[in-house]
Amino acid sequence: MDTVIEMRERKNSGQLLLIAALIMAFLLLSAELYIIEVGKIIGEVESNSMNDFVLAVELGSRHVIVGSLANVSNGGSNSVLEWNIQNWSSFIDKQYQFGKSILDYTLEETTPYSSGIWIDWGTDGIGVSSAYANFTYKLLGREGNLNQSYFINITHTLFVESTYQVGVGDEKQVNVTINLLNEGKPALAKQITIYYKDQLNNWLIPDETNNYTISDYGNGTYLASFVVSIPSPNVEVSAHVFDQREIYVQANATSIQI
Amino acid sequence: MFNKRGQIRIIEAFLAIAVIFSSLIFTTVTFPSSPNLAKQKSLSSFGMQALIELDVNGTLGKLIEQRNWTAIKQSLDISLPIGVSFNLTIYDENFSPINSQVIQNTNLLGRETVSVQYIGASQSQNIQLFILRLQLAWTR
Repeated sequence: MDTVIEMRERKNSGQLLLIAALIMAFLLLSAELYIIEVGKIIGEVESNSMNDFVLAVELGSRHVIVGSLANVSNGGSNSVLEWNIQNWSSFIDKQYQFGKSILDYTLEETTPYSSGIWIDWGTDGIGVSSAYANFTYKLLGREGNLNQSYFINITHTLFVESTYQVGVGDEKQVNVTINLLNEGKPALAKQITIYYKDQLNNWLIPDETNNYTISDYGNGTYLASFVVSIPSPNVEVSAHVFDQREIYVQANATSIQI
Repeated sequence: MFNKRGQIRIIEAFLAIAVIFSSLIFTTVTFPSSPNLAKQKSLSSFGMQALIELDVNGTLGKLIEQRNWTAIKQSLDISLPIGVSFNLTIYDENFSPINSQVIQNTNLLGRETVSVQYIGASQSQNIQLFILRLQLAWTR
């Protein structure tokens, strides 16, 4: 009788062990599945952060070029552009948390650019202030490597056209039309100053004594009107403009009689 | 005797199946595709988008230069979805905090937060580089 009981107990414990093993296997499997799923989501988060970081680098590069051009066009040295980009580049290299980040750059040297800068404030009614740089951004992260090239060209262009009508004596009613473009698109000005040249070759700013008015058409076009008393048939005008980004440009033009 | 043993084994097999299926149900209920991480992902995405939106035309750099912390807070209040709490710290290029007042909508103490790091530059003639650390949490 004793022998029979022993045999039964042994058989039961074997089955229980089998069940326990199945449960453990299942728990291990479910834990594994959970880990895989969590890994997938972390991967997505890192991938998104990588793309966002690249976008932030491009945006920052653009701001650096804009600021540098504002500095150079306001009388700063051309080397400011390279110094600022160099500073930005080394700043970027230190910041990415999930890997290695390298920002290389070259300043545009193709004519009319020199060291990435093109300043041409002409007497033909066209003025240009421009900065141009090429970038290569390498990001070596846990979620893969990224190699992106992009260029940034910031160009503030001014077009000046002028006409005048002869009034009484030497009086002339002068109209100056100003068109502003940023990167080829109409842009608004922050400040416009108009000058005219008097008979003593001095540049003067027309004021209320000249019935000076300026109209803003809201699309990058401005019309300035004033009256001057100049005996010469040649009326020289000049427009000095700051855009919203504080980039400065100027252009001179000769007024045409109509 | 043989028949009884067979019946017991069948019952045991059913029991084993029941145990396995109950653990399957248990795991499905307990780990429904890691909701916290999915929420964190959307939070960091919202935060990054809000900062990019603010920086795209140089406004962020301008506000930092003007030390206009109130305007930055208001902009984030508008850009981030309702129900998101935030705390923003702005550092200079030497990693020293520069915001003299706290930029946050509610206190994040004791909440599960996500941190987003953003780098940028101002558009002014004297360019200022900055690092932003935006902490975000869902409001309970």
